[in-house]
Amino acid sequence: MASSYKCARCKQKVEIDVNVRCPYCGHRILFKERGAAIKELKAR
Amino acid sequence: MEIQFASLDDAASRFTLSGASPAFANALRRAMIADVPTLAIEDVRIYDNTSALFDEMLAHRLGLIPITTDLTAYQSRDACSCNGAGCPACSVTFTLSAEGPKVVVSGDLIPQDPKAVPVHAAIPIVKLVKGQKLVLEAKAVVATGKEHAKWQPTLVCGYKNHPVITIGDTCDACGMCVDECPREILTVKGKKVAVAAGKLSECSLCRLCERACISTGIGEEPAIKVSAEPDRYIFVVESDGSLPVKEIIKRALKHIKGQSDELEHKIREISGDDKK
Amino acid sequence: MIPVRCFTCGKTISTAYEEFKQRQSAGEDPKKILDDLGLTRYCCRRMLLTHNEIIDELNPYQ
Repeated sequence: MASSYKCARCKQKVEIDVNVRCPYCGHRILFKERGAAIKELKAR
Repeated sequence: MEIQFASLDDAASRFTLSGASPAFANALRRAMIADVPTLAIEDVRIYDNTSALFDEMLAHRLGLIPITTDLTAYQSRDACSCNGAGCPACSVTFTLSAEGPKVVVSGDLIPQDPKAVPVHAAIPIVKLVKGQKLVLEAKAVVATGKEHAKWQPTLVCGYKNHPVITIGDTCDACGMCVDECPREILTVKGKKVAVAAGKLSECSLCRLCERACISTGIGEEPAIKVSAEPDRYIFVVESDGSLPVKEIIKRALKHIKGQSDELEHKIREISGDDKK
Repeated sequence: MIPVRCFTCGKTISTAYEEFKQRQSAGEDPKKILDDLGLTRYCCRRMLLTHNEIIDELNPYQ
């Protein structure tokens, strides 16, 4: 269930295992990517 | 009961209702607000949204867009044969796909029915910068303002009693009330104060003129008296554009009639007097 | 983004915002612009007068 993240600095895809750290550039800020699922909402 | 229009167009109307009880006037007001159905976006399916706004915020903004409604072509969701599931008789779908840089507006919503379109095409939904994307599908359904304010066909919808201003013999045309009146409806005419022509209906019954009159030391009773006509009302109705005002009034009156007929029918059923 | 409707009365005020913004930055008196745009009630007028657009500040992120 590893959801995909994106590094804030080098924009590469990152999988988190133990450390929250980009393996390519060492940056510690990651963005969580939007899921592929269609979101259904009520317009209220 | 009588209705007399002072002004009437598709967007706004002002009329006097005379010979009605306060209960009926209020019933009419409430029916216009909450019982006349319109189209409004209710279900949103978001396929992709990389804009700065959250999906929920986008959906909420979409819901508030007024949509022109042809009530002869659409039916209220509760009364529809699909039992509220949403079918072509009570709902319309819109699709939207946009890529930045651009400001996404309500005109970018592609309607399924070319007659049910947003009232204004220039309502901004979200501003996209380069690389941001928005793809969604929205379903508008017909419902009433009872359920949510987005289905209200009216903006301003209210009434007040028709004002009556009487000026007694003790008036000495001092002009205090003229200066005090916030709506500027009074003038000095000869040796007395009078209501300016055509301005009477603008009186808000605030009675500041009575107070001003008393403060001049005229005595116990003010020379000017403001009262309300008990069975005459001035209505102001404004439409959000989804329906013309005339249609709103007509539908509201029809709704009241339907409800009272239903009540009568039920009472007859209970009392066992349903032969009449 | 500017709210679609006036919070209080529900009038669609967002359509007027673009013109209001342009004319205000051109130095025109806000009172005159609002009158021209047909916003007569003070609830609708405050919607435009007090709005602070922050979407351009949010957009650089992500």
